[in-house]
Amino acid sequence: MTKLLIVDDSKFSQKITRSFLDRYLDDVTFDFADDGQAGLEKFDAWHPDYIIVDLLMPKLRGQDMIKQVKLSDPDARVIVLSADVQHHVREEVESLGVLTFVNKPLDDKKARELGTLIGKSSRG
Amino acid sequence: MADKLNSSDIMTELFNIGVGQAANTLSDIIGKRIDLSIPNVSILNPEKGKHVLDQYLAQVAEGTVMVSSISFDQQLEGRVSLLFPADKMHQFIALCLHETWDEEAVTKEFTDIDYDTIREIGNIVINSMIGELSNAVSIPVKYTLPEIDVLDHACADHFVVFGDSQLVLIMYLDFDIEGTEIAGAIVINMALNSLEEILDQINKLYNGV
Repeated sequence: MTKLLIVDDSKFSQKITRSFLDRYLDDVTFDFADDGQAGLEKFDAWHPDYIIVDLLMPKLRGQDMIKQVKLSDPDARVIVLSADVQHHVREEVESLGVLTFVNKPLDDKKARELGTLIGKSSRG
Repeated sequence: MADKLNSSDIMTELFNIGVGQAANTLSDIIGKRIDLSIPNVSILNPEKGKHVLDQYLAQVAEGTVMVSSISFDQQLEGRVSLLFPADKMHQFIALCLHETWDEEAVTKEFTDIDYDTIREIGNIVINSMIGELSNAVSIPVKYTLPEIDVLDHACADHFVVFGDSQLVLIMYLDFDIEGTEIAGAIVINMALNSLEEILDQINKLYNGV
């Protein structure tokens, strides 16, 4: 069972992300957090195999959550799903050691690529 | 480029990149084709901006609008507001959620899910527009959290600060989603020096073009 934590302050985005990823992942269980701080707490308590994290969120930004997650577990597998299309933001976030940076909205093609990525890099 | 075109022409070109991207994004979310008019950007002083915006609100939106807005700062400072006539939003939200829209069953009230949906759609659209502008001129911006509101009897004062150092950029955005026509508007309240910085950067990047 692969555990996947979706951290996004939009229920709409949470729903879309889960719906698309469900198509391309077998044997996966989802949990959700509505902001970066809640995401960090769920990460510590639940130890997900993957985190899909938004950037612009209340309480704790995605960038800051990722930094704290990586301090706790440098091998944590983080996927960024953000509406921010700025090149400098992508470069900053990629330097944190995330698996990939995907721009919202998630669509079928992007979900298939994420499904493949997660399938390939699952913890053995 | 900046030497040969006026400010409105340049901003129209820059924003149309983002608007095109935003239309693609909306189309992806809804799963339907979106026909979008290509907007011209009007750059207005505060007094003129107030007059034009009040006209739009009175005529098109009939005073009740759903507003999704984000502020941005760092090198560029301003606030973007997406204005949609509230009476079209229930149908638009149903399209976004891939739900069947039943005009008879709809109340005038918006639910938390409705607000959340429009807040996120606004976030994605505004990020497309301002982010592509930021990329085009290589000037970074930092966003605040998106906000959403429904305003009865909305007037221009709700959206813009009418200081001497402020400008109002207005784009009318008419789009058609399989027969559903929505006449929205994008209002950007931008610091005058931010516009000057964008135009200076265009001159540097495309000097003589």
